[in-house]
Amino acid sequence: MAIKSYLAHPHSGQKEKLINELLALKNCEIIPAENKDVIILVTDTESDSDDDILKQHIETFNSLKLLALVSGFNTPKNDL
Amino acid sequence: MSATLTSRRIFIKKMAATAAMTAAMTMFPGIIFASEQLAGISEGNLDWKKGPCRFCGVGCGILVGVENGKAVAVKGDPNSSVNKGLLCVKGYHQTMCIQASDRLTHALVKKNGKYVKTPINEALDLVARKMKSTIEKHGKDSVAMYTSGQSTIPEGYVASKLMKGAIGTNNLDCNARLCMASAVTGFLTSFGADEPMGCYEDIDHADYFITWGNNMAEMHPVLFSRMLEQKNNRGAKIIDFATRTTRSSTASNRSILFEPQTDLAVANAICYEIINNGWVNTKFVEDHTTFSKGLTKMGYGLEDNYSFTDKPTKINFAEYKKFLEDYTPEKVEKYSKVSAKDIKYLASIYGNPNKKVVSYWCMGMNQHTRGTWMNNLVYNIHLLTGKISQPGNGPFSLTGQPSACGTAREVGTFTHKLPHGVVTNRKDREMAARIWKVPVERIPAKPTYHATEMFRAVDRGDIKFIWTQVTNPLVSLPKTKRYTAGMKKDSCFVVVSDVFPTPTSDVADVILPASWHIEKSGLYGNSERRTQYWDKMVEGPGDTTPDAWMTIEVAKRMGYGDLFPYSKENHAEEIYNEYRQFHEGAKHGMAPLEVLKKESGVIWPYVNGKSTQWRFNSKYDPACDNGKDFHFYGKPDGKAVIWQRPYEPAAEFPDKEYPFWLNTGRVIEHWHTGSMTRRIPVLHKAMPHAYVEFHPDDAKALSIRDGENVKVISRRGECVLPASINKRGLPTKGQVFVPFFDENMMINDVTLDAFCPISKEPDYKKCAVKIQKA
Amino acid sequence: MKKRLGIISLFIMLFIAFITVWNFSYEQGREEAYIPLKGSSLTPIIPSETGVFRRAEFALDYANMPFDKEHERSLETYYDNRAFHGAPPSIPHPIVETQNIGGNSCLKCHENGGFVEKYNAYTPVVPHPELVNCKQCHVAQQNNTLFKSGDYLKVNAPSVGDNNVLITSPPVIPHQIQMHENCLSCHAGPSAPKEIRVTHPERINCRQCHVLNNKEIKDIGVFIKEIKNE
Repeated sequence: MAIKSYLAHPHSGQKEKLINELLALKNCEIIPAENKDVIILVTDTESDSDDDILKQHIETFNSLKLLALVSGFNTPKNDL
Repeated sequence: MSATLTSRRIFIKKMAATAAMTAAMTMFPGIIFASEQLAGISEGNLDWKKGPCRFCGVGCGILVGVENGKAVAVKGDPNSSVNKGLLCVKGYHQTMCIQASDRLTHALVKKNGKYVKTPINEALDLVARKMKSTIEKHGKDSVAMYTSGQSTIPEGYVASKLMKGAIGTNNLDCNARLCMASAVTGFLTSFGADEPMGCYEDIDHADYFITWGNNMAEMHPVLFSRMLEQKNNRGAKIIDFATRTTRSSTASNRSILFEPQTDLAVANAICYEIINNGWVNTKFVEDHTTFSKGLTKMGYGLEDNYSFTDKPTKINFAEYKKFLEDYTPEKVEKYSKVSAKDIKYLASIYGNPNKKVVSYWCMGMNQHTRGTWMNNLVYNIHLLTGKISQPGNGPFSLTGQPSACGTAREVGTFTHKLPHGVVTNRKDREMAARIWKVPVERIPAKPTYHATEMFRAVDRGDIKFIWTQVTNPLVSLPKTKRYTAGMKKDSCFVVVSDVFPTPTSDVADVILPASWHIEKSGLYGNSERRTQYWDKMVEGPGDTTPDAWMTIEVAKRMGYGDLFPYSKENHAEEIYNEYRQFHEGAKHGMAPLEVLKKESGVIWPYVNGKSTQWRFNSKYDPACDNGKDFHFYGKPDGKAVIWQRPYEPAAEFPDKEYPFWLNTGRVIEHWHTGSMTRRIPVLHKAMPHAYVEFHPDDAKALSIRDGENVKVISRRGECVLPASINKRGLPTKGQVFVPFFDENMMINDVTLDAFCPISKEPDYKKCAVKIQKA
Repeated sequence: MKKRLGIISLFIMLFIAFITVWNFSYEQGREEAYIPLKGSSLTPIIPSETGVFRRAEFALDYANMPFDKEHERSLETYYDNRAFHGAPPSIPHPIVETQNIGGNSCLKCHENGGFVEKYNAYTPVVPHPELVNCKQCHVAQQNNTLFKSGDYLKVNAPSVGDNNVLITSPPVIPHQIQMHENCLSCHAGPSAPKEIRVTHPERINCRQCHVLNNKEIKDIGVFIKEIKNE
């Protein structure tokens, strides 16, 4: 499984839109900042390929200016 | 399995979110997230529980994050005035040790040379039966308990009540004898009342911090951080006076090195300069001090059954002044290797009436064959200049264990002590008998064995049953070689309560599984007289039981049930409420439990709902009642004592055959014998093993390379360790330094069991060794 | 006669005095001329420790420095001019050959840092200003071609944000610190890569909370004690 956290920077004035778009996705948790234009995004997917697809999908959002990866975790499958 | 997986996943998600938040905070200073989201997502269902740190005597407030009954995080308590939210690397990772795979979870009883897992009740039955039959066969003084400055207040209290009140023997001592005894006798001889007069707030007011043989950057890091903060913000200065260059030296404004043992002479030389230059605060000295001298050439306690009692004689100022003439800076510089200029510099700092000075010390002065004297001498400096008991001015003795003050010294788990006063005092015995509800005759008036002598008695076969709790003496005693062999003998039945297996539990007949810190409720008391309460935070594994409850269970099985009417769930609270009665009054009043539960610790004396931060100063201390500015009410005449104490050489010093001083001590990553910190992976990886530190010139002369194994040999034993050159510290030429945390490299096999005749505290800092390539 | 005796004894006295003085000064003159070497009274240096507190005097300034988002470095660019993690960075800007030894040239900017208009960036601060032969390790990259191409492996730098074991515990130091003992030079101030810029430079005693975790080169595992049955 892959768990990653990003800083999502919206285009100016489109923070709300980005929040709503992200909220609509499965596998995503967000923490928007109250006073700055930045949203913390944590993604949790089953595999690296799922993760890639999700990331590509998010990057198509027009409200998104920049998606910066902060940290990534990959726990071995044999945990299951 | 799936449950753990989910929680692991949640945990990782939290870590990921926290990392992103940290990054965001770096990029946008002042960024705010909704608090409910912080609570909900970044820290999940973490329940933050308040308590004191498990490790050193600084007594930082911690918050432990508990999730699904497991401790998963630790942070500094922002409400604690001690650490204001900051911890050190040990503190941040402390809860990880309880997850170690070799945790003692069940009682182990040795049967035919093999440890057999035994239900806790059966093991306690055996302990009680053995203790009782030993007393019947060999008398009360054939059983002993050896506890700890890490025992909680209730644990120390029930141990004292069992041994002194129920059984009626003074065979109770603790490992605080190895670290704080000289501080205690120093306080008692100079002021008649134990523990520092000031508090940590002194740091915010002082202009100078003078540390005597004390590497605070590693041993009391949170306090050192507070000092560094004042250095940067206000220009306060740190002067490091030591025998070894350390991390603290590199952070100080000035580092002054001295030859081991000559601190006695330098302190006297400082007093000589203060008097000679007219820097004495005459009014203070006349109003509040008297002068005394004691016996000299006391010996070093190297022989079994050694005993010593000091005989104080009053002297006058003129005699004291005459005595100091042997300690002019010019005379002292010859053997102390401190230049007369540096001695005068130190004296001028203490002598300047416009500068506030705090002196800090810990093991360098206490673990000293003249430890009591050395404590007295630093008090002399502060008394002569009147720099005491005021914000930013005062001598401050630091402690090494979280409750060396709260338990060992205040509850009194020493052979000569009672919860209030000493066993030799009839009134104190009567008070204990009244509160404990036992006949006063049962409490013996004569102290028996102090720590070193207790293990000598085990070796001799005089003690036939010993129970150690919360301590690891076979790593921490000096000259462990003798005492390990002694504990292995069949003549003594050994019971060890601990959280992890240690070299001490290796020789036990019964190993009892103890609860760790946050798995029980308890109270600790730190260096600044701050009492801190915590509630049980998580369940311990298997049969683990709080030490106090194991003592109570054994007492009940021995037939003393009526003296221990406490409940299993609430015993910590019930015991504290009973104990508080011993200290009622303005001189030592302890805060009620309801207050302790709310606050992040409270400083005693707690009088009329208020903490007393500076004792003996009538502005702050309601117990002062002589109508003057200061009142040293510990002494009958209300005056502190300036002691005439000479320089005397160490018990053993380098010679042709053993040419090096051996100094032992600690490192920031590990706490004491390492039984907890070495089980924390972050700390173990940061400091995997002990080492022997050389001055580069000595290493060159012996052609020793960094990392090469060498043998450190004394007249007692030897130890093989890798050499360390130019790493953590830099000893002076002719000295080697070894940290003692490593049970696989037992440097205490090498050390000498000489002790201060007054305090009976061993000197781990000075003995003679030779070096060979291994 | 008396007079003559007096004169003779006076001369004898003068002669003896002369011999004594001459002998004394001769003996003095025989002593080797040397200047006594006195150890400096400064704190002796412990190489692996000494860097921790260096630049501590600027810690408060660091804490107050504004964040200049426009010109921040990132870890990506930080590693751009290093052949691999831990390698000395190459010099990314033009220099003339005469700028050779640090004291006179490199250190002018790299000792304390600051904004450089020409490169539109903050100067990175060197963690070891005592080593002044800068170009011993740091070389300029004159052109962008290779002599022969190769399969150059790159050690991956430790990642940021996952060096803490508990969510609230301070991250360990994930890199070796030899020649990087001074934390503040890379982790504080406007030239610090934004991902690793410390939020609390004023605390100075970094290794109170952050400890090195790769002191041993091999993984040493955890500490476990077997219960001995004898």
